[in-house]
Amino acid sequence: MAIPTEAQAQRILQRVLTLARATKGADAVVSLSGTQAGNTRFAVNEITSSSDVERLTMSVTIQFGQRSASATTNQLDDRALDDVVARARRMAKLAPANPEAMPPLGRQTYKPARGASDGPTAATSPDARAKAVGTAIKAGDAAKVMIAGFYEHEARMHAIASTAGLWAHHAWTTAELTCTARTPDATGSGWAGASSNRVADLDAPALAKIAVDKAVRSAKPTKLDPGRYTVVLEPAAVADLLGFLTGSFGARRADEGRSFFSKPGGGTRVGEKLFPETITLRSDPADVQLAAWPFDREALPLAPTSWIEQGVVKGLAYGRYWAKQQGKPPTGHPGGWILDGGKATRDELVKGVKRGVLITRLWYLRSLDPQSILVTGLTRDGTFLIENGAVTRPVTNFRFNDSPVQMLARCDAMTAGVVANGMRVPALRTNEFNLASISEAV
Amino acid sequence: MFGASAGTLATLAAPRIITARGLLTEPTLDDLIQRALAAATKAGASYADVRIVRMRNERVSTREDRIDGVSSSEEYGVGVRVIAGGAWGFAATPNVTATEAERIARSAVAIAKASSSLMKRPVKLAPEPAHVDVWQTALVKDPFKIPLEDKAELLLAINREAMKIPGVKYVNSWYAGVSEWKLFASTDGAYLEQEIVRLGPGYSVTAVDDKRGEFESREHDLPPRQAGWEYVEQSSLLADARRIAEEAVAKLKAPSVTGGKKDLILDPSNLWLTIHESIGHPTELDRAMGYEANFAGTSFATPDKLGKLRIGSPILTFYADKTTPGALATCGYDDDGVATQRWNLVDKGVFVGYQTTREQAAWIHEKRSRGTCYGDSFASFPFQRMPNISLAPSPQERSIEDLIAATDDGVVVTGRGSWSIDHQRLNFQFGGQTFWEVKHGKKTRMLRDVAYQANTLEFWAACDLIGGPKSWQLHGSLSDGKGEPAQSNAVSHGCPPARFRKVNILSTNRRSA
Repeated sequence: MAIPTEAQAQRILQRVLTLARATKGADAVVSLSGTQAGNTRFAVNEITSSSDVERLTMSVTIQFGQRSASATTNQLDDRALDDVVARARRMAKLAPANPEAMPPLGRQTYKPARGASDGPTAATSPDARAKAVGTAIKAGDAAKVMIAGFYEHEARMHAIASTAGLWAHHAWTTAELTCTARTPDATGSGWAGASSNRVADLDAPALAKIAVDKAVRSAKPTKLDPGRYTVVLEPAAVADLLGFLTGSFGARRADEGRSFFSKPGGGTRVGEKLFPETITLRSDPADVQLAAWPFDREALPLAPTSWIEQGVVKGLAYGRYWAKQQGKPPTGHPGGWILDGGKATRDELVKGVKRGVLITRLWYLRSLDPQSILVTGLTRDGTFLIENGAVTRPVTNFRFNDSPVQMLARCDAMTAGVVANGMRVPALRTNEFNLASISEAV
Repeated sequence: MFGASAGTLATLAAPRIITARGLLTEPTLDDLIQRALAAATKAGASYADVRIVRMRNERVSTREDRIDGVSSSEEYGVGVRVIAGGAWGFAATPNVTATEAERIARSAVAIAKASSSLMKRPVKLAPEPAHVDVWQTALVKDPFKIPLEDKAELLLAINREAMKIPGVKYVNSWYAGVSEWKLFASTDGAYLEQEIVRLGPGYSVTAVDDKRGEFESREHDLPPRQAGWEYVEQSSLLADARRIAEEAVAKLKAPSVTGGKKDLILDPSNLWLTIHESIGHPTELDRAMGYEANFAGTSFATPDKLGKLRIGSPILTFYADKTTPGALATCGYDDDGVATQRWNLVDKGVFVGYQTTREQAAWIHEKRSRGTCYGDSFASFPFQRMPNISLAPSPQERSIEDLIAATDDGVVVTGRGSWSIDHQRLNFQFGGQTFWEVKHGKKTRMLRDVAYQANTLEFWAACDLIGGPKSWQLHGSLSDGKGEPAQSNAVSHGCPPARFRKVNILSTNRRSA
């Protein structure tokens, strides 16, 4: 079974809207999403599991004025569709009125994201996965290191329709390959990964080579005192930390005084220059490699937007209700985040460091203080000392306590951007990064 | 409600669901199962299992005086897992028909065969009696039959109480109910039907100081449970609303902690998560063997240390189980069809056991699986997941007040705050919901911005006092992540309060920066 086509999705959703309309006074928003996914996991230099799975979600939201409720099912037969509409209707009648309820969205215009769906990615077979994974395993065997990883590809669709005439549809593919190599003495570990909307962009031998090389070079690390260091963060680390900032652009929380973007005494920090001029943070719904959508979960059209431009906070994200309350245009909730990069190469980032640390990726990030977006987490899979512009030796991992705000505020050089963890970000150099305590984990 | 003993039905040559005390209402599923298993065997599988799973979720969420979400979701489907050529293969579909089940069975075998040439150690399963049984959560009031208005009214009543406290500006409250029904059958003769019902109500109160541009939140600690609606009715959720709100306001006014080495007293509402992260995850055998190296990480507790490594002081015994009534991971049988058990992971401070599945038992020369295999939906490949893991109380009765009275300079931490631990489960840093200064045996004042940071082995070695049986509480989480693609698991952890000597306390205050 493949995922529903746009025409099939339209037929199914129109049927559900007809069922919903049968109740007097009912408005409805209905959506259908489908996923066809294949994956292969490997560890200890062999395949540990491999799966092909199909999933569907049909969601029905019924509204009676300010009363509304949602029900979902993954079954599309007549009985299931009747049942899901009946469940939503029953619950909506029981639900207390929500003064924040908005009527269903009507017809919208979306800019299609061309090339989001890649045929060969959707059609990738278990044999093709095994072949790609086999090259990574072979690289591990040849270097006498343990290698583990994950290869996944998905074909997906999401469609939204409403009784007010809305029709939104997007189909896309995703592909991801990550590997971690470990030395047999368990003192060295290296990671590499790539993601895109096309499996053709995943170079298994090249990624395995980076992971193996980092594992070998990171073996037998020595201790470095905790403290504040100049660090070179590779793209995966930048993206993980940046996610705490991109998740903080909601206007409502800022207006309510409970966000980094709230100003003491009231108001927001929109218009303030909080970062160097080199920092521009954007969202682009047309960047298909980021699996971005042309619309958000409410079906609001998304436009390319600068949230931080040359260091200045340019705006916050408004959903429909809060935009109406505040008299602002709704922006929708953006995806497809891009931190504009610079012109440096990775070697140039390292060359500019007198004494600092090169960090491959981060792990177990958790918020410590939402107000300053202070985050804790750990380094892993390739942490090295930089001395006088050169990587000199592996060091033990660290727990860090720092903020993406400070990471950007103290950034003085960046490479060009690449896709990492669903964002397009550069590797960057930043100063005074708080490596708070040593982690002996490898 | 617990199932008949394992052996009684195991000798049946051709087990049928009719022999179990049925929840089952669709006998056509029996035909589907037999055909899927036959198709897998015919295609070359040396082992196959079928899981038909129906997950139901109900969620109500509110803020202040309004309901901001009411939803009910259902997901139903069938997954077939096989071993062929010594490799696993798995396929799943939401189309629960015999024809589709046969198709995915053949597909799972083809997937396994695609992987088989890369297998160095063919998958072998530890033996297990062929259980045929039915198991259900013990409950009085089915939460899915409780009217929505009752749930909404309880949450809005909580919000009203909390909003009465000056300084409180926002309240979010929620209720989540989850029902997991599944039918499992394997070519080894298992035929099992189970229905597990879990509940998770809660709320978070936020106080804001507009002038200073500061805010603090306080969450209620009522643990999620495997239970009926009576658990919510009998809870102190509503009665606690004012206190929780007052503590959110007090937190906003409390002084920031001064960092340094202090004695740490952890309430069970905080300690359970520390146990989860520092004892639970490191004793997963797949992780210790490198199977999670690419994502969740590995473990300091490697098999060569079994029976030798001292993880903590001799007053500490941690046990794993999937049998404690009401605990989130409790069930009759795991997703390998293995009967659930209780066993020690750490005995008087020494590392003695792992969590295993049928595939893993032989890796540490054990003859039988510990029964910890789980897949979080019909479309998820079942693998090793954490059972309930608990710290046994001291035989001597001792309360948290006794721990405080015995402490000269310390901090008491309650509730779940921020938590983070490294990928071998050594360096961790945890926060909490409330923090109290202890001076000369007394709780003196509230503090804020507290985190404690330690190395797992040093931390548990520094534990010198734990509470007694009456102070033991069962907490837990509805969602614990592991695996690629990520899967969620519900798990409980019981513990008494405990004291740790001279732990590194940090201030997370960055407001001045």
